[in-house]
Amino acid sequence: MAESVPEVPSGEAARLAGITKHFFGVAANEDVDFDLRWGEIHALLGENGAGKSTLCSVLAGLYHPDSGEIHLDGDRVDLGSPHQALDHGVGMVYQHFRLVDRFTVAENLTLGHPETGFFTSRRSLERQVGELGRRYGLEVSPQAAVWQLSVGEQQRVEILKLLYRGVRILILDEPTAVLTPQESQNLFGTLRALADDGRAIIFVTHKLDEVMAVADRVTVLRDGRKVGAMPTSEADPATLARLMVGRDLSVTERPRTAPGEPVLSIKGVTAEGDRGLEAIRDVEIEVRASQIVGVAGVAGNGQRELAEVVTGLRRPKRGQIIMGGVDITRSTTLERIKLGLGFVPEDRMRTGMAGGLPLAANLALKAYRQPPLSKGPVLSKQAMEDRARTLEKQFDIRGVRGALPTSLLSGGNIQRAILARELSARPRVLVAAAPTRGLDVAAIQAIRQLLIEEADAGTAILMISEDLEEILDLSDEVIVLYEGQVMDRLPRDRADPDLLGMLMAGRGVDAA
Amino acid sequence: MSLSLGSRRLTVESRPVPSRLVRFLAPTFSVALAFVIGALILVATGQDPLLAYTEMIRKGFVGRLALTGTLIIATPLIFTGLAAVVSFRMKVWNIGAEGQFILGAVASSGVGLWVGDQVGGPLGIVLMLVAGALAGALFAALAALPRAYLNTDEVISTLMLNFVALGIMNYLIFSSFSFWRDPGRATFPVGKFVEDVLFLPRMVGRLHVGLIIALAFTVVIWWALRYTKWGFELMVTGDSPRAALYSGMRVDRKILSVLMVSGALAGLGGGIEVGGVLHNLDPRALSLGVGFTGIVVAALARLSPFGVIPVAILVASFSNAAPGLQVLGIPSEIVILLEGILFLCIVAGEWFLRNAIRVERTAGPAGAEAPAS
Ligand SMILES: Nc1ncnc2c1ncn2[C@@H]1O[C@H](COP(=O)(O)OP(=O)(O)O)[C@@H](O)[C@H]1O
Ligand SMILES: [Mg+2]
Repeated sequence: MAESVPEVPSGEAARLAGITKHFFGVAANEDVDFDLRWGEIHALLGENGAGKSTLCSVLAGLYHPDSGEIHLDGDRVDLGSPHQALDHGVGMVYQHFRLVDRFTVAENLTLGHPETGFFTSRRSLERQVGELGRRYGLEVSPQAAVWQLSVGEQQRVEILKLLYRGVRILILDEPTAVLTPQESQNLFGTLRALADDGRAIIFVTHKLDEVMAVADRVTVLRDGRKVGAMPTSEADPATLARLMVGRDLSVTERPRTAPGEPVLSIKGVTAEGDRGLEAIRDVEIEVRASQIVGVAGVAGNGQRELAEVVTGLRRPKRGQIIMGGVDITRSTTLERIKLGLGFVPEDRMRTGMAGGLPLAANLALKAYRQPPLSKGPVLSKQAMEDRARTLEKQFDIRGVRGALPTSLLSGGNIQRAILARELSARPRVLVAAAPTRGLDVAAIQAIRQLLIEEADAGTAILMISEDLEEILDLSDEVIVLYEGQVMDRLPRDRADPDLLGMLMAGRGVDAA
Repeated sequence: MSLSLGSRRLTVESRPVPSRLVRFLAPTFSVALAFVIGALILVATGQDPLLAYTEMIRKGFVGRLALTGTLIIATPLIFTGLAAVVSFRMKVWNIGAEGQFILGAVASSGVGLWVGDQVGGPLGIVLMLVAGALAGALFAALAALPRAYLNTDEVISTLMLNFVALGIMNYLIFSSFSFWRDPGRATFPVGKFVEDVLFLPRMVGRLHVGLIIALAFTVVIWWALRYTKWGFELMVTGDSPRAALYSGMRVDRKILSVLMVSGALAGLGGGIEVGGVLHNLDPRALSLGVGFTGIVVAALARLSPFGVIPVAILVASFSNAAPGLQVLGIPSEIVILLEGILFLCIVAGEWFLRNAIRVERTAGPAGAEAPAS
């Protein structure tokens, strides 16, 4: 970013003073001050549950604070609704998009826009969208229906929608959580261009690298309170991490355990994706006891299908899967579970958990079949509860309140709960997909530690991750998937980020 | 979401978990509101709401005849209500209780006519009821199999099958000289009556033991949903089919079994109606919408098996009182109207369970707000 450092930002765009917001007794924001200047990208950093989304929603008019003041452009305002905020030029791209799937991009842009009359010509709209898109690197086809777009493209539409309404203060709530590394880079370029044009950007994240890479200033929240604010030029990752978590983080060192016998062999497996095209082709992977094999690759290159084929949720077209000497290619998911297969799925909330059920039920999702949780067809609720208490303590799962839906837990706690369930079944093979995606620093540490301990205890782990750092930290061997095929297979000491990056982009070593 | 009204602002926030008080107040308030709206409509149409309501209570509950009459009507509603509870709990929408109930009646009357007095009372009755349940289950399977294995929409298939069932029943009595039809009555077609030994025993007046069977099944369903692996799998599948698949459950078989249990309950209800009340296949008495009302009952009971009992009795008391109201010059449609209003109010109440509304003053110093919901 060296050549494009903007002029010193000046002029107050927005100021929040003493914002407090409680949700049914939980303090989401407590006396938070925040100020934003024109022309800057201001990162809002904090762990999950720190209150970032709440603070943004207050500025975007979605929530009314219990107390505190909002000043825009120097004037005190009262924002009654997101609409009023939009009238003041404040707009937010929410963590969960709010587009209408069936509508086209153009229709979504004009939806609810007061000035778009009935007669606004489609051509002029498309021209404006095209212009905005080119200027800020937000190209999308105006005629495409939203459901046809990738997540990254949908995000562009969200941003375009706000720009089209003349928003000058743009809030993005964890925009990179759903993006590939490449898409994130593009987004950063867009944000920089928007800021250079004098807009003010709030960029919410819990990733330190992103703060360092893109923000001019950073404000750190912890447990609903502001714990620090500084220009990024004066910040360093270690300080930010300490502010964010409230303590120093230890670095995991993986002591090497000698790998044992092969436990999982995937032999020449080909399988189709949801659209009937071959999603993985002739994949060969072998995982030994005590070994962590990392599968690297950009999302959408067959990772999900690979995990599903191994766990029995998808039928392979060709090839063979052997686990502990048994051919499980045609086995049901249940048979595989009984043979000792554990699975941490990528989609935690819908696949890994039944989000609407209490945690105790979710922790029992696999163990309910045997005593002590059940005898014959009859379930023991008491045993289920007891087991849940034990696992909560053992795996440090926090925030559990009785029969509350599991979906109310934070991402880190949900992931701990999934691991608690899978590891307590003493698996021989564990497939872990995106095990730490979207989690905060402390949770990431805890989850990685659990995986390492599990491998040391003899489990064969197949870890699928887009996070190169994670792959390099944990794996004994790295496999790179590209367009459904294994590009290469490297022992840990031969794998480095540059090489992996190249392979992930589909370029073989020779071509480099 | 929020809405400004002058200096006030209404803010809506979702309530992840409603408090105990709210969970109790919302339905109580909904029922009360339904009666208030009903009263307003009565007043608007020149009726005396007080008179209407007292009559409804009197004709529905006061005295042996009123009470047993209400309970007799409630019995099949408990079965169709339970049928809806079981399937709706899994978010599989069996709208076909009506047809399953009818085919249950067809099968049990058929078996009753077939066994005659050859096997004796108790065994004959059991055979009739088993046949009713089986027919309901198999009829539900017609929708369940394509739903489980081809992922067709069960709402449409179960709904359409209602008309098929109705057609079959009408054909057997009105358009053919079938085994079910009384050949002696050519001009005014009716179903043949089963032997007296096959009548369900009566307890008080005309009130038959079907009510006890209904209560027993309520307990069984409650227990099965709460304390069995089957109920656990149903709950997980209902909340997230993907999570169910992932944890090794067979979602297709679950859909099949749940829809068939649901159909069996409705079919058993039909069998009990034949054994306890009608004693023949009577298309007029069997096409009053018991299956559809069961859906309303289940919804009002918020899918709780035990909730089905009081709701079924309340709704049954309305129907029981309707003819009596007409005598007083109050149109009996008021009863259907009340049912509808009740349904709408409960749906609205459900919304209040999930969302909190706060009224705030927008002017004045920050912090001076009056939460009121
Ligand atoms: N609508 C809501 N209802 C109840 N609690 C909420 C709601 N929104 C947020 N919270 C709670 O407030 C706290 C802060 O949440 P949030 O602002 O979403 O944090 P972040 O975006 O930093 O992860 C959390 O404890 C969360 O559970
Ligand atoms: Mg958030």
